[in-house]
Amino acid sequence: MASSSAGSEGSEGATRQQAASPNDVVRGVLSGLIPLGLLLVVVIITLLLAALARQLLSASGFFAQQQAAVIILAAGLIVTIIVYAIACMRALRRVAKWQQAGLVARSRAALCALGLTALVVLLPVLLALVLPQHPAP
Amino acid sequence: MKQVSSPQRPQPGTRNVGRGARILVATLLIVSALVTTLYVGLSLYIATQLVYVPQTPLYATPAKFGMQFRNVTFPSRVDQVQLKGWFIPGMLPNGKLTAQRTIIMVHGNRTNRADKDAGLLQLSVDLAQHGFAVLAFDMRGTGESPPAPLSLGYFEQRDVLGAVDFLKSGTPPYPELGRPRGIAGWGVSMGAATLLLATAQEPAIRAVVSDCAYADIAPLLEREVPKGGHLPSFFTPGALRAVQALYGIDYYSVRPLDIVASIAPRPIYFIHGDQDGFIPHSNMTELAAAAQTAPNARVQTWLVPGADHAKSFFVEGQTYVNNVVAFYTQALGPDTSAA
Repeated sequence: MASSSAGSEGSEGATRQQAASPNDVVRGVLSGLIPLGLLLVVVIITLLLAALARQLLSASGFFAQQQAAVIILAAGLIVTIIVYAIACMRALRRVAKWQQAGLVARSRAALCALGLTALVVLLPVLLALVLPQHPAP
Repeated sequence: MKQVSSPQRPQPGTRNVGRGARILVATLLIVSALVTTLYVGLSLYIATQLVYVPQTPLYATPAKFGMQFRNVTFPSRVDQVQLKGWFIPGMLPNGKLTAQRTIIMVHGNRTNRADKDAGLLQLSVDLAQHGFAVLAFDMRGTGESPPAPLSLGYFEQRDVLGAVDFLKSGTPPYPELGRPRGIAGWGVSMGAATLLLATAQEPAIRAVVSDCAYADIAPLLEREVPKGGHLPSFFTPGALRAVQALYGIDYYSVRPLDIVASIAPRPIYFIHGDQDGFIPHSNMTELAAAAQTAPNARVQTWLVPGADHAKSFFVEGQTYVNNVVAFYTQALGPDTSAA
């Protein structure tokens, strides 16, 4: 009886998976990419603010310029980490809910997008490791 | 009823797989964020260390060598940084002072317009005694000029251009001598690279002596930054990009190699010590080859035997002075103020 019930659950799950519309996948991917999008927005805003501070303080001398740029970039780094962490936690919670609701395609798509996000975040380090530097003259 | 609602829930096995996938992705997200944060943080720290060089005081003035001179202040081109310098009039054999032919002296990294190690003040005096006026100045962030990030030529070329503007249109330090008829430049190490970058933009600089310039700064930084920071070399690209974010300096664009051909037909005299362990003399070979690609190029090279970095003047002494004087005389012509 138990095995027959499990078989019935499995076939129903498979049916739900097959029935998953492309919309479901897109929604999952978009949801998974939210942390990356927020990360990029905060990084761009931080860099723009640093450039603006440099321009505004150009008459105040090097030390004032440096202090402002360091403060803005350090604050930007902290804000980036917080925003990114919150966005990732929310995305993972959403994935858990979808998994519980049996929305397999959507949750898988979101997890793939989050995995891609992790890869993109790591990309600067990976590129620095992998890409050859200039040959010494 | 239970039988109806249970099929909507995933199987226990599927639930475990789903949970496992979530944990795996969460771990990836945490690890990547930690690694990248550490990388970015350290890169920012290296960047702040890389561009800050404590300013060293001038060890002497031209008066120590019995020369007349006047202190000058002039703004850099574009960003108007107020730079300090000396104007030393040339001295003709009859004792008359002249400013007809003026040489802009450009010092190297971590030093100033007196640069004892490269003998810049001594060479300035020697040139003045051969009838060439000299404008020796502290680039931004050095000597008595205002503090600034070390950009290895990226911003400093504006200082050289400011020196040209000062000679062409600033208040003459010796009004009775008039303005220079011909302007040339001498630079050592970073100063030489900076001078090449400035000369490519400023036709008023009619001749260049480049002593141990680098062809491209990036390979040197990739060699030196890990040494200085005691960190693996893969931090260098991050640090250089952090410098760009913090100070707007793009070290990767400091490549005299790319612009040196555009200096033609103005003559360039490349000098390099064959024992240079800091900027290998292959840099001179590359620069000279690039300069000679111009159809009307006038390029001279001198590989100084036994000279380490920026030591050619000390190794060759009077021969160095004679060669440089002959080069400038050919490029700028003789002084006619005595006639």
